[in-house]
Amino acid sequence: MKKKIVSLFLVGAMAATMLMGCGGVKTDSEAAAGDSGEETAEAAEGKNAYSDEIKIGFLPNVIGDSCAAAWAEGMEGYLSNFSNVTFNVFDGKASVDTENTIMEQMINEKYDAIILQATDAAGLAASTDKAEAAGIPVITCNLDADTTHTGLVAGVDVEAGQQIAEHIGETLGGTGKVVIISATPGATKGENIDKGFKAVMEEKYSGIEILDEQSGEWLTENANTVMNDFLTKYPEIDAVLCHNDAMAEGAAEAAKAAGREMQIWGVDGESKMLDYIEQGLCTGTVYTDCQRQGAACAQFAMYAVGSGITAKNLSATPIVKMAPIVVTQENLSEITEDMRW
Amino acid sequence: MRQENMRRLISVASLVILALVFGFTSNGFFTATNILSILRECGITGIIAIGVSFVIITAGIDLSTGAAVGFVSMLCANLLYNYALPAGLIMLISILAGTVCGVLNGFIVTKLRVPEFIATLSTQYLFRSMVFVFAIREMGVITNKKITDPGILIMGGSINGIYLVTITFLVLAVIGQIILKKTKLGTYIYATGANRKSADLSGINTDKVRWTVFIITGFLCGIASIFEIGRIGSATTDLGTGLEFEVIAAVVIGGCAFSGGRGDIFGTTVGAIFMAVLQNGILKYNLPTAAQLIIKGVVIVIMIIFDSVYNQYMQKKIHEKANEEANEGVQTAGGEA
Repeated sequence: MKKKIVSLFLVGAMAATMLMGCGGVKTDSEAAAGDSGEETAEAAEGKNAYSDEIKIGFLPNVIGDSCAAAWAEGMEGYLSNFSNVTFNVFDGKASVDTENTIMEQMINEKYDAIILQATDAAGLAASTDKAEAAGIPVITCNLDADTTHTGLVAGVDVEAGQQIAEHIGETLGGTGKVVIISATPGATKGENIDKGFKAVMEEKYSGIEILDEQSGEWLTENANTVMNDFLTKYPEIDAVLCHNDAMAEGAAEAAKAAGREMQIWGVDGESKMLDYIEQGLCTGTVYTDCQRQGAACAQFAMYAVGSGITAKNLSATPIVKMAPIVVTQENLSEITEDMRW
Repeated sequence: MRQENMRRLISVASLVILALVFGFTSNGFFTATNILSILRECGITGIIAIGVSFVIITAGIDLSTGAAVGFVSMLCANLLYNYALPAGLIMLISILAGTVCGVLNGFIVTKLRVPEFIATLSTQYLFRSMVFVFAIREMGVITNKKITDPGILIMGGSINGIYLVTITFLVLAVIGQIILKKTKLGTYIYATGANRKSADLSGINTDKVRWTVFIITGFLCGIASIFEIGRIGSATTDLGTGLEFEVIAAVVIGGCAFSGGRGDIFGTTVGAIFMAVLQNGILKYNLPTAAQLIIKGVVIVIMIIFDSVYNQYMQKKIHEKANEEANEGVQTAGGEA
């Protein structure tokens, strides 16, 4: 019986292998390039930004965070000037699988441009290639895809890590103990903040010891739990680096409850974090004007649709960098009400 | 009409109705590209669902499939990146690693006597932790790398628009159906699920049957992983998260009963396509996430409630028919006396 079962499955596997071996099998981007012969030519000429029907999709990592909401608001604000543009926002649900599925759907529905916050750079490369091959420009927002595409509007991550390391290093006078509450393992943004932070620490502040690093999975409540654990484990902590503001807020609440004082840093610059800084619960954050970044993505997308530029016209991905602004109590007033999100 | 055929007809009718609803209320649903895309989307869920159907027909459950796919995919990505092994060998390793996951599940369930739910929930954590063990690291930080081997990437490809994963799913579904309906193992699977004690008493080694269905599921997770990394061109730490629930939903919508002893791969295939149609159609409405989840949840719940009501109704009819026959038998016997 066993032999019969195994042989049945092996026959299936062999049949599949033979199909692959018999040529004619195309990868996604090859197939998309083949299918879109005419469309690619049309896209190369570009569309009229004021009169042609244009459909733009925004696919963030998750729709539920304040950053994504601010980006969408910025994009919508800009695109609402064009009555001929339809703008749809999807939810990547922090899943590579979901993002790939939605990318495929947008390609099938012949969107004119896609703005993507890639949950994973390598994991979204294939579908980005497929979209570009089908003549659809892909603009990545903050989290890039690991392939040449129409454009990237980058917030700060490596630079944020570097700048926070500089501040901590200087204010502690080159010696002290630091803990890190990190992003979900594997998340590109978290990895980049870590890279920037650790590189500066190793290079310039070798007297500062990184005691521990645990994931708070981007969440306030998880960061609170992790911080409580750090506080019981380590009698001396001088500074905490959190990979986003939401986690910094959780860490601040834990430190406040324990009656301990230390520097607590986040990244993003959301309004709640700015309130925490004002109240002295957190030390600082690296602010990005997400609404402006969203608008920049939309402008980039409209430029690509109008000019017909896609990856095939480019040898590397053009990058627009947002300015990293380190915000502490000293310069908090520079972030005016209309800049808060 | 036989109960089994009636249930199949209902499954197919539900799928057709769902497709028609989306077809007439959204744009671009009934296009060749979209239909092929739906068939692609159901491929990975469907391949695993074949194995999980076997498990559920034996009245078991497997909650570890998503994590097993995550683990096997990451293992393959790691070996490709660090050792540049050839694609054929990677595929073999993928299938072997998946099978080992199944062997472990089966061992815990049948030898250590841990209930399936707890056993596979535990191995879900174990396999997910293995994802992090095998994750590619640079300077101690997890870094996902692009897979560049064309032999692997081609697995995410298509022939004349039909994706390899779809073809493989359909081939494996036919094989799965043959196993269930035409082999001794199939009979034993139904018998184990319908009444394990009776099956034991009639000489069926039910432990062996349960172990085998877990091994088949693991084997299929290995195959699914190859297509997963072929399509995405990478392996990420969240890969396969929540996949087990999609798979279980497909199996149950397809008519397999959690109580065991009922269902087949034809139904599961319809269930997997149903789930992909549902996902695809909902996305076309551009609804807020909450609304999407509500619709998806409500449709799945309606299907499961319907299945339960239908099952009770059919059981009642069978009992009534049996009573009628028994009464007729008594009357005939009385007349003869």
